Amino acid sequence: MSKGAARVGIGGPVGSGKTALLEALIPRLKARGVDLAVITNDLVTHEDAERLRRANLLDPSRVLAVEAGACPHTVIREDPTLNMEAADSLDRAFPGLQLILIESGGDNLASTFSLDLVDYWLFVIDVAGGDDIPRKRGPGILQCDLLVINKVDLHEHVGVDLPRMLEEAKAVRAGRPIVCTNCRKGDGVDQVADAICHAVLFQDA
Amino acid sequence: MTSQLCHIERIIGDRAEPGLAHRLHHLAHEGRVETVTVAVADLPRRRFRAVTDQGTECAIALPRDTRLFDGAVLLLEDDRAIVVKVGEQEWLKLRPAEGFALELGYLAGNLHWRVRFADGHLLVAVDVPRERYLARIEEHLAAGRVTLVDG
Ligand SMILES: Nc1nc2c(ncn2[C@@H]2O[C@H](COP(=O)(O)OP(=O)(O)O)[C@@H](O)[C@H]2O)c(=O)[nH]1
Ligand SMILES: [Mg+2]
Repeated sequence: MSKGAARVGIGGPVGSGKTALLEALIPRLKARGVDLAVITNDLVTHEDAERLRRANLLDPSRVLAVEAGACPHTVIREDPTLNMEAADSLDRAFPGLQLILIESGGDNLASTFSLDLVDYWLFVIDVAGGDDIPRKRGPGILQCDLLVINKVDLHEHVGVDLPRMLEEAKAVRAGRPIVCTNCRKGDGVDQVADAICHAVLFQDA
Repeated sequence: MTSQLCHIERIIGDRAEPGLAHRLHHLAHEGRVETVTVAVADLPRRRFRAVTDQGTECAIALPRDTRLFDGAVLLLEDDRAIVVKVGEQEWLKLRPAEGFALELGYLAGNLHWRVRFADGHLLVAVDVPRERYLARIEEHLAAGRVTLVDG
């Protein structure tokens, strides 16, 4: 068995901006010459996969959908076999593949990725969820390799104290990395790409 | 410290294998066996960066069907070797009060804690700082429904 492409998970609550992050990341990674593919985990439909295919950011055959059913965390943690098979099939279909991004179906703050499935995982929360989210210390926020705080453009609108939210996130993560993003505009997304390339592709920009 | 990444793409073997043990023994005498410490929770990882105790930066990318273990030999050269050391697993030992064992077991399952059972105690693997586990059972500890046993 070869080592295949690096596998990176993107988890976080529904609506935090996981698909938006993918949409912003894909062109940036492609510009760096990274050969990549995506797996989405939708609850019942293939909505996110369709959205990515329509956006034409990647060849449609490089976007696979895994149906998560009612329990989205099961397919990324307790029994990730469906996702592992999807990733294996991408490795077989695209021999030079370097990176597979796996978007989870959206879950609560407790969702984490199995390290049998991914080499590295991000957890995306958004400022609209409230600045007390990091203090609540969900396993996703604590254990992920990179915490992404998205929708920073909204913090004033939703009355969130962003610096405080960042401080608290830093405190509970004991120095592990955090990036603030606005995925609509692309702010901070290069830093996310840098982190992924550094950690699992061993490439520095 | 070297700035060059040491790329590792396979496990050569177990340090206990006779052929390897012999060579490692000689290198160890010269202080040329470096260790990479991996936490128990990180053992399933196949692709990650690590730094040895002597400062060598490693880029580890193992085949998907490989799993790291204590004593895995990652590099064996004439003048240097790199071996995995698994960080010691810390456990929290909890004793449920009479009649509370079922509830504590349910709680642990619901929180997806990694657990073991031993002589009526619940052992919880400490993968994140221990305060975080204790925070989840704060009320039960305060009310004496659960006791933290030392050692
Ligand atoms: N204002 C703002 N909206 C965003 C941002 N990122 C995502 N959104 C919006 O948030 C909504 C949910 O995003 P989506 O990517 O579908 O979330 P997912 O469920 O985590 O995949 C969509 O309407 C996005 O356009 C951001 O950085 N700022
Ligand atoms: Mg989505």
